[in-house]
Amino acid sequence: MFSSAKKKFLSALVLSAATCLAEAAPHVVGYERFHSETPTAEGGAILFSELGCAGCHGGSATVVRRKGPRLIDLSQRIERDWLVDFLKNPESGRKGSTMPQLFHGVSDEELDAVVAYLGSIGKGIKYPADRHANAERGSALYHEKGCIACHAPTPDFRSPQGPGEALVPELAIAHPEFRKKTSLEALNHFLTSPGSYRPDGRMPHIQLDRQEALDIAAHLIDYQGSDPRELSGVTPWPKSSPELIEAGKVIVTKFNCASCHDLPGLTPGALMPLSGSSGDAGGHCLSSEPVAGIPHYDLTDTQRDSLKLFLSGERPEKDPDGKLTLAAMNCYACHDRDGIGGPTTETNAFFIGDESIGDSGRIPPPLTGIGHKLQADWMKSVFAGEEESRVRPYMKTQMPAYAAHAEVFTKWFQEMDAVSDAKEIVIRPDDIESGRKLLGIHGGTNCITCHNWGGQKSLGIPALDISNLDSRLQPGWFREYLLNPASYRPGTLMPPLWPGGQSMVPDVLEGDTERQIAAIWGFIKDGQGVPEGFPDRSGGQFELVPEDRPVIQRTFFEKTGTKAILVGFPGEIHLAYDGSRGRPSLVWRGRFFDAYDTWFTRAAPFENPLSDELYLFAEGGGDGRFLGYRIDEKGNPTFIKVEGDREITENYRVEEGTLIRTIRWEEGAPPAVVHPTGAEVKSETSGKTLTLTYSWK
Amino acid sequence: MEMKTCLSIGVVLGLAGLSPADDAKASYEVFELMTASSPSDSRSTEWKPGDGITMEVSGMEWIGDMLAVSIRKGEVWMVENPLSDKVAEISYRLFASGLHEPLGLDRDGKDLLVSQRAEITRLQDNDGDGVADAYLTECDGWNVSGNYHAYTYGPERDGDGNLWVTLNLGMGKLADNSVGWRGWGGIIGEDHRFVPKAFGMRSPSGLGMNREGDMFYSDQQGTWVPASPIYHLREGVFFGNQESLGTLENLEAPFQLSAVPEANLPYPEALASCAEFVPPAVWLPYNKMGRSTTDIQVIDEDGKFGPFDGQLLIGEFTNSAVSRVFLEKVGGEYQGACFPFLQGFPAAVVRLSFAPDGSLFVGMTNRGWSSLGNRSYGLSRVSYRGVNPFAIREMRARPDGFELKFTAPVDPDSLEGAFEMSSYTYLYSKSYGSDEIETKSHAITGVEVLDDGKSVRLVVEGCRPLYVHELRTDGILSADGRPLDFANAYYTLNRIPE
Repeated sequence: MFSSAKKKFLSALVLSAATCLAEAAPHVVGYERFHSETPTAEGGAILFSELGCAGCHGGSATVVRRKGPRLIDLSQRIERDWLVDFLKNPESGRKGSTMPQLFHGVSDEELDAVVAYLGSIGKGIKYPADRHANAERGSALYHEKGCIACHAPTPDFRSPQGPGEALVPELAIAHPEFRKKTSLEALNHFLTSPGSYRPDGRMPHIQLDRQEALDIAAHLIDYQGSDPRELSGVTPWPKSSPELIEAGKVIVTKFNCASCHDLPGLTPGALMPLSGSSGDAGGHCLSSEPVAGIPHYDLTDTQRDSLKLFLSGERPEKDPDGKLTLAAMNCYACHDRDGIGGPTTETNAFFIGDESIGDSGRIPPPLTGIGHKLQADWMKSVFAGEEESRVRPYMKTQMPAYAAHAEVFTKWFQEMDAVSDAKEIVIRPDDIESGRKLLGIHGGTNCITCHNWGGQKSLGIPALDISNLDSRLQPGWFREYLLNPASYRPGTLMPPLWPGGQSMVPDVLEGDTERQIAAIWGFIKDGQGVPEGFPDRSGGQFELVPEDRPVIQRTFFEKTGTKAILVGFPGEIHLAYDGSRGRPSLVWRGRFFDAYDTWFTRAAPFENPLSDELYLFAEGGGDGRFLGYRIDEKGNPTFIKVEGDREITENYRVEEGTLIRTIRWEEGAPPAVVHPTGAEVKSETSGKTLTLTYSWK
Repeated sequence: MEMKTCLSIGVVLGLAGLSPADDAKASYEVFELMTASSPSDSRSTEWKPGDGITMEVSGMEWIGDMLAVSIRKGEVWMVENPLSDKVAEISYRLFASGLHEPLGLDRDGKDLLVSQRAEITRLQDNDGDGVADAYLTECDGWNVSGNYHAYTYGPERDGDGNLWVTLNLGMGKLADNSVGWRGWGGIIGEDHRFVPKAFGMRSPSGLGMNREGDMFYSDQQGTWVPASPIYHLREGVFFGNQESLGTLENLEAPFQLSAVPEANLPYPEALASCAEFVPPAVWLPYNKMGRSTTDIQVIDEDGKFGPFDGQLLIGEFTNSAVSRVFLEKVGGEYQGACFPFLQGFPAAVVRLSFAPDGSLFVGMTNRGWSSLGNRSYGLSRVSYRGVNPFAIREMRARPDGFELKFTAPVDPDSLEGAFEMSSYTYLYSKSYGSDEIETKSHAITGVEVLDDGKSVRLVVEGCRPLYVHELRTDGILSADGRPLDFANAYYTLNRIPE
């Protein structure tokens, strides 16, 4: 699929040299990606929707029809000069624009009137005075939030996964030249509520907070300053007379702009029948040359032929398998459904998340059977963009909201994907408690090894929270998924826990697969408990308390680094030695540390002392190459290092509330030493031995 | 904590298909020395340090009849009398503690060598009281950023006495693979510094030499690694993972790439774009063979572990299993086939080691990921019961197809229509794993049983160099009427012999 788009691009280049025709053609990504090679009725159906044909002629092939933007408050949002140029030739305002040329044969005076009328609409926007823009942060957000699913990455941007390959232009929706079109405050405002201006959901709501929107706007408009209050907004439009405005309204009404655009006070004209002619004579929207009074599209031959195929064939009322709508809305940029779509080779690297979960940690889930997978209410909340429907916090790409269409989309998916013979789950109340065991790790199926449970982190990778599956998933789908996870999501790290339908835990519920799955579902639905096996850390079960002998443990240590050797002494004085530099790093008094993370977690976070009474060693004092340590009969360590070319050892022990440090060297002067802060130091040299006694008040 | 039941695997075991020990047909039996069981393992809320051994096995080494085991908590235990059939007669003694996630254990004379995140450490017991009293730096010199995934594996000795160490790539927070030899394998140098030798590794958690003394390592499916591979590890080669390309800027890098291999190409084409880029000796196709390969252990037991001497055993994490690999040299390079072998262990198989009596010790730990085994850790022993299994022992490449060698004479009548073959490769890209691509079926135009009755020649049309050739069989019986242990085999045909 992808390679065909690439080929298309190459041939388009050749064409453009000759005629510039393809250069100016309207650009519909879902069409270009899947249908641009040869004319197809399906491709024509997508174009019929996305070029706004249904606005005048009715009969959209997609679930939600394409509309133009709401033409309100233009004088505050859009530069007048840009708008005039755009109306004369939409392609000049934004490459690949799907707005047809309408105003050929309209005089400049008449166009002035149109612009005057458009400038008069709206109630006025009050822009907040945002501060602290950061284009660099905006660039990072633009490239990770999912904008690049539809729009091209910035050419010099380096993805965290390596250099991003150039997105094939045919698969990216071009931006206008933002500085010519609009202002930072207007773009910022648009990004926080695209639905107010684009009611058809083609630019969905990315649910940015104000700061994020400001930063992305700064990136897009290339504002490198930090205080946008220094900028002026859109250039003020000249005042227009009521007569001119009224004249413009007459023209806009005549051109039936309201069939695509929401215009207060204007209603769409009556639907116009399609001419029925598939020839190029006479003059209609498909004509290759502009005809006065008729919208003109600079179609490629393939686009035109696709439309003709669609119009001459049977036109289904609804999009029966979703392919048209998903292409039109560009859902395919992120999602696969039935083996079609998903990130392209080029965009793939921009989908980032938690790689420890594999591709499921960064690539949005497939939509195959999604109406069978998700419950209707949940699905609605996903489309509505409700906060609690965000279940994959590890995924950087943000599912946009389609609030205005949440009902329609949900109903459509649910009907399209309904499975009439799905085997339901039958919960036996007595089995529910076994769900706790099955979800857990004591002889269960170890779900919590990977999956979070409510506020509790999993014991391993942070796969999605499974404590609320009962409100998300349809039980029939849940059952099928557990039986074969890879069939829904090839490459998932989720293992088949009932391979071939057979249970791996024969001693729970008699090894009955159906009862086990029902028990898990029942336990989750019951919402009363926590799976077996989350460690209870509240009691400090893993705190190390040196009693008779010192306790030595290597770990990552916040105060010392990644080669820290901790020595806990009986008597509540403890030492951290930095093996990477061959020097002591910290002394602390009080409790030693809790070894839970070092001993038993996969994440290996840095440990901390269980005390605030910290005494850092001063800098300096000579680093050396650490060669290890020996333990004497009382358990005290002697660290060995080479400094220059002589070996130096230091033994540590605790006696009567003091830390005694005995340094020995082979030859020459005593080595330079530093002491922990706040310590009273007693020093005693004898031959090649220096004994330091540290005490604290 | 201890499972006292003696279970048999048999080579013929389905998942969870453990059969009673008295099953006369079973070829192998399993004895569980220690298996985590509710509620006395490390996850129990009642468990406290000191209450029991958290036997998350990460390394094994033999000292006579005593088994030294390193565990992930950071300890080394001496298992005394590990060959006993009675759990009560086996005892455990703490030898070393306070280590930082050791993931490998070897021996050097009287000393043990153990990996920690930041170094390889020499453990000595100088006063002879049975407890280590010296923890000396044996080797260091790699980047330890604090990222959890930057594991250190080894050391493992090759036939020339080199001690090999492999360094996992970091992943996620704090990861930095561009410095400090992440993704490299190397040996311990004379000055106790890591000497880098080869790179492009992702998660090289298993090291092991074959009978000839050549070193191999296993990698795991993930970024740049389309499926789990077994590589011949030697100086100057690149294994394909580009995440640590930045390390080449180090002046001490032992070699440079003549070109950065081109990505998003089928593997055979990508290999052609860089002279140092080598294919694995064997691919273990994802899901079909398992998901995450771990340890490598050669079988060199004079038949005491069955009819597979000279082959490699490969640990399998996710499927809690052990796979088998047959290697041959074609055109001077190793290639060969993999076969499923032992399945149904109680936890993820991470380490393998042969005892002096020819039984296989299997060390397990599930921590951090998940496996089909539902226990968090365990230590088991697998013994051969002297019952010859019926298996495809060898699969060799031939100029016009393959030659199979079974462990027992085959019933020629059962071979009719019994074979199917297809071949495929993977996409070389930075994505996490790859589907099988460019799959093609091959007609099998000739099947001939050779004079020994155990060997079968297959004439296969259109074999493709550098592709995995998947052999599926159906209904093959031994001359005495037994079915094959596992029906399928996967040959990585890097080169077709002339």
